[in-house]
Amino acid sequence: MTEYDVIIVGAGLGGGIAAGILSEAGLRVLLLERGAALRFEDIPTDHLRNHRLSLYGDNTTLDPAAHPRVFVDASGREQVVHPHEGGYNLNAFTVGGGSRIWGMQAWRFHPDDFRMASRYGTPPGSSLADWPIRFEDLAPCYERAEQEIGVAGDHSGDDHAPRRQPFPLPPVSPTPTGDWLARGAKNLGWKTFTPPLAVNTRPYQGRAACVQCGQCIGFACPTDAKNGSHNTLLPRALSTGRCTLVTRAHAARITTGTDGRVEGVEYFAPRSSDPTNPRAEASYEHRTARARVVIVASGAIETARLLLLSKSSSHPDGLGNHSGHLGRHVQGHYYPVAYGLLPRGVENPNLGPGVSIATTRFNHGNPGVIGGAMLANDFVKLPVIFWRSSLPPDVPRWGLENKRAMRDLYLRGIDIRGPVQEIPSPDSRVTLDPRMKDRFGLSVARLSGTTHPETLRTAEFMRQRAEEWLRASGAERVWSWPAERKFSAGQHQAGTCRMSADPRDGVTDAWGRVHGHDNLFVCDGSLHVTNGGFNPALTIMALAFRTAEYIAGKVSSNR
Amino acid sequence: MVPPDDFPGAVEAGVEDYVHRQLAGDCSREAGALTSGLRQLDAEAAARHSVNFDALSPANQDTLLRDLEAGLVSPTWPAEISPLTFFARMVELAHEGYYADPANGGNRDGSSWRMIGYDPRLPPPPLPTEAIPAPPSSRSP
Repeated sequence: MTEYDVIIVGAGLGGGIAAGILSEAGLRVLLLERGAALRFEDIPTDHLRNHRLSLYGDNTTLDPAAHPRVFVDASGREQVVHPHEGGYNLNAFTVGGGSRIWGMQAWRFHPDDFRMASRYGTPPGSSLADWPIRFEDLAPCYERAEQEIGVAGDHSGDDHAPRRQPFPLPPVSPTPTGDWLARGAKNLGWKTFTPPLAVNTRPYQGRAACVQCGQCIGFACPTDAKNGSHNTLLPRALSTGRCTLVTRAHAARITTGTDGRVEGVEYFAPRSSDPTNPRAEASYEHRTARARVVIVASGAIETARLLLLSKSSSHPDGLGNHSGHLGRHVQGHYYPVAYGLLPRGVENPNLGPGVSIATTRFNHGNPGVIGGAMLANDFVKLPVIFWRSSLPPDVPRWGLENKRAMRDLYLRGIDIRGPVQEIPSPDSRVTLDPRMKDRFGLSVARLSGTTHPETLRTAEFMRQRAEEWLRASGAERVWSWPAERKFSAGQHQAGTCRMSADPRDGVTDAWGRVHGHDNLFVCDGSLHVTNGGFNPALTIMALAFRTAEYIAGKVSSNR
Repeated sequence: MVPPDDFPGAVEAGVEDYVHRQLAGDCSREAGALTSGLRQLDAEAAARHSVNFDALSPANQDTLLRDLEAGLVSPTWPAEISPLTFFARMVELAHEGYYADPANGGNRDGSSWRMIGYDPRLPPPPLPTEAIPAPPSSRSP
């Protein structure tokens, strides 16, 4: 049995960052990742099978049939789902996690996102709560994440949260559609700016700049200008010689002693691997590793599942589940979208990444609703996605009229969308399915419940604002659809191990340490008490820097 | 589904290849039902005009498809797939093939992308890359 200082389960944003910090602090780290380390050429550029449109598969999952989940929809219907299917709520399983193929929006949360209950009160039936930390506690780590991951942004315009240091990279270039939307916003008296994106707008940290290709979100970057953990903190971890990365490793359980201290991790890993063919069939063996600290960073669904799978006679409901919060309060983001047609003479340049203008005017202080959302224009859009979702509703679905509409409108389509801060419900949850097992005989995640109805009211308010922005800009037509209540997690999954000052109110303390287990930490979106009206990745990163530095201080001084 | 005009129609663009590939692969579970639907489409054409669907004039093809879309078909339609589901699925498959990347088989030479003004603009294939790049400090100059 091998002994480490720290075992990290999951090499996504949180786990990759923790691995970098802890290895550089001199600790021996075992980093277990369920997916493979994929090269650009290992991630297909298939427009029907990617992380933006996964009709028949995706472009990172290695064994799609091997890891089902059970999804229970709003009507109570239960179905077995596979990674590319909507009910699965997939975030990429690969080294780098979602950051391998993401859209790179790197937002700080608003200071009031950390005190939602204090600002708005807790609506009946919801589990809306304050975070045990404030924005100010996280501010230095936000800054560090921006610098060390590499974020391009407009520090003069982006003032929804205080900042001391400018972004390390200049903002993405203005676009004709962004300029058009800026004029519309000005007519309304709304302030706009270029949103922060974790993309190399110029060469940075030894890697090239973005070439603005036309298939960005959902795909790997052809120039490696898309910043994530796989090309920043993780290589730093490996270059210390102290970090052992095991890919295609599936954690089975975290082992604990009777005093609650964690002893190590049992996992399955391939007997041998072929680095030139990361998708090769593997035969697996059972392994056990011991460590002084274990960090779970597998995303809100799989992190909750592993803690539930790690039950023992002294922890019969799973680790950190003494007060029943583990796996509850699942949140993602509702995304109201308003579609429109640009007037003649304004053309969508169809350049990546595509998101070029945003407003944070409606994140808080909206009459009659709780919270709000950032609004921005969309990423560069694949033609097949445009056909599926973005044609005006009265265009026939087939035939010559449909073809002409595609030809005439593809470069004139515009949409505004934003991640609505969800009002959490304790009934939206991850549990272990009582029947379905994965290929290792481990119970799979069962997803059930829906968000609190207040989320729908905020989403409706934001949909109206998105339409208003398009109209004020002079869109020729504007249309949209109201949201329906649903289970929401997806790529922005959060909340299943929420932090709390009082162990009765959550799963982890303000450092991400699981209540009752001194040496067990969580380092991903599971920690989020609320998920902000922003893409959550930068907050996941900032928390990872904070938790990892805390652990480094504790473990190093205990040597 | 996607008729020719200044730009290729579905047939010229290879959508049939795409659909066959899907029915043999990702959509194999639907293949039986969709194939019965296609046979029934021929039967509908034969009942109306004594020829298969392929042999109908474009105008008669359109009329039949519009009737199908509205569910106005003969009562002998196979039970395993409703006419509406069959039609909606064929519309989806045809357009997925036509607008997806050429490697999927239904957008030969990227003709639909040229038509609408889309270009993935991927740079030339990169030199063989490492899955995990070396950090800048340890990279050779």
